[in-house]
Amino acid sequence: MKEQEPIVFVVDDDRMIREGLQSLIRSVGLRVETFSSAQDFLLAKRIDAPACLVLDVRMPGLSGLDLQLKLRDGDIQIPIIFITGHGDIPMSVRAMKDGAHEFLTKPVRGQDLLDAVHKAIATDRSLQQERQESKAIREKFDSLTPREKEVQELVVAGLLNKQIADQLGMSELTVKTHRAHVMEKTEADSLAHLVRMAEKLKNSPRK
Amino acid sequence: MKTTDGRSVASTIGRYALAILLVALALFLSLQFQYSLGNPFWFFFSVAVILSTWFGGSGPGWLAVICSVLAVMYYFTPPMGTFAISPSDVPYFVAFVACEAGATRLILWRRRSEDALRQARNQLEVKVAERTRALESANAAILRQMDEQRRTDETLQATRAELARAARITTIGELTASIAHEVNQPLAAVVANADACVAWLDREKPDLLEARSAAERAVNGATRASDVIARIRSMITKSTPRKSRVEINRIIEQTAALVETQAARNNATIQLKLSPDVPFVVGDSIQLQQVILNLVMNGIEATATVTDRPRTVTLVSEVELGPSAHDGQVLVSVHDSGAGLSDEVKARLFEPFFTTRTTGTGMGLSISRSIIEAHGGRLWAESNGSGGAIFQFTLPKGDDPRE
Repeated sequence: MKEQEPIVFVVDDDRMIREGLQSLIRSVGLRVETFSSAQDFLLAKRIDAPACLVLDVRMPGLSGLDLQLKLRDGDIQIPIIFITGHGDIPMSVRAMKDGAHEFLTKPVRGQDLLDAVHKAIATDRSLQQERQESKAIREKFDSLTPREKEVQELVVAGLLNKQIADQLGMSELTVKTHRAHVMEKTEADSLAHLVRMAEKLKNSPRK
Repeated sequence: MKTTDGRSVASTIGRYALAILLVALALFLSLQFQYSLGNPFWFFFSVAVILSTWFGGSGPGWLAVICSVLAVMYYFTPPMGTFAISPSDVPYFVAFVACEAGATRLILWRRRSEDALRQARNQLEVKVAERTRALESANAAILRQMDEQRRTDETLQATRAELARAARITTIGELTASIAHEVNQPLAAVVANADACVAWLDREKPDLLEARSAAERAVNGATRASDVIARIRSMITKSTPRKSRVEINRIIEQTAALVETQAARNNATIQLKLSPDVPFVVGDSIQLQQVILNLVMNGIEATATVTDRPRTVTLVSEVELGPSAHDGQVLVSVHDSGAGLSDEVKARLFEPFFTTRTTGTGMGLSISRSIIEAHGGRLWAESNGSGGAIFQFTLPKGDDPRE
């Protein structure tokens, strides 16, 4: 699976700041896409690449904090680096609680911002890998028939074939056949692998 | 004073007794002198009747008349010793009775009018007393109301001053926040672009084109920041160019009246030393009043810590004389007996946001100086020789060609 080039989104209503940040981030070889408002960013096409969002808190219309909530409600996971002119504590606390990656005050030192961007992209990259992994697992698990799924769940719960056969009211032989299909469809190397995958699936929310 | 109705029974008896006594006395005197005076009987009886009526009133009066007539009939009209009257004496006797009766009637009439008069006077006095009481209570009520009004006024004034201060602080607070944002925004752009410029130059193969455009944006940002500052400055100094002929002494007096309560609350006194020769100046009277108000309030607050000498703030106006170009310009100074100015404070006094007070905004003196300079004058501070500080400003006189 080939990873896409990371991208940084910059949302700021001030053109000069937007251009400055864009130039700064581009200078270290990262892709940048800028938006002059939170609404514009929401309308933009999602890209399946490691990304982060550099977001001005104070903007006309939808503010940075509003955008953060909207993204969370839309279950869009992207690390946010907030930039604020007046870094009052209650606001930054709220933003951090809601999962802001970083909170920087204006004027932002270039190196601070680049550090934050790199860290955010690294975070997103690992999150994304996890997301992709669970997506792959989900696809495999989704290919099971309802009967196979029942057998899989009981296998993962640690029951023996005989017990499963009793519980589902089928012969032990049938259970064995279903079990073989499960292992084949989920590409599980071993019972332990199957359990790990089932565990991972349980922990990642369905999109 | 008692009215007739109020007289006691004892006094009624006394009055009748007096009438009888008087008639008896008249009878006695008439009998004594009837031969030496010749026909004197009517004289004493008349006196008795008049006195009885006068002092006794109607009843005793008429009693005296009857008694006198009977006495005269008995003792002095022939045939003597009887109540009969000889026909020749009838006209004489009738004249006597008529005189007595007439006198009594006249006196009674007089008495009645006097009584009526007295009664009217009494009533008047009662009424006057009533009115006086009513007036007194009304007066007391008015005094109470005035007192209350005064207290309300004081509270109102204190509240208004507090409100004005709060509004001023809020306004300046909001203004400051807005200025901070307005200036910070282009500064943020400058920093971002300058950092970007450096980053492009730092690359293994420096990208001069990118660096150049970043540097240009940094320059634009800096220009924008200085534009914002210029706009704020012009907003403060030139916002209300309502110039008119201003009598500076009047403004000083008005300002002194405005701060009187505040001064009294701080146990400070405001003194005025105004030169009558001060010429008029041309300017915005409200702005000039703001400047003076600001200086006086600073003065009052500066004296708040003084305990070893009187707390005074003196406002002085004078004309600068001399051969220099300043000849004839107005000099206004505010002297306070406060702790004075340290060199460090003096150096930073006029910096925006510099303040020595916890509640100060640090904008007052800076704005005041802008106003005075916009009027073609100067504002500066000095230490007072006897402790305390002097804040003073000059203004060109009204007929100055610059105006």
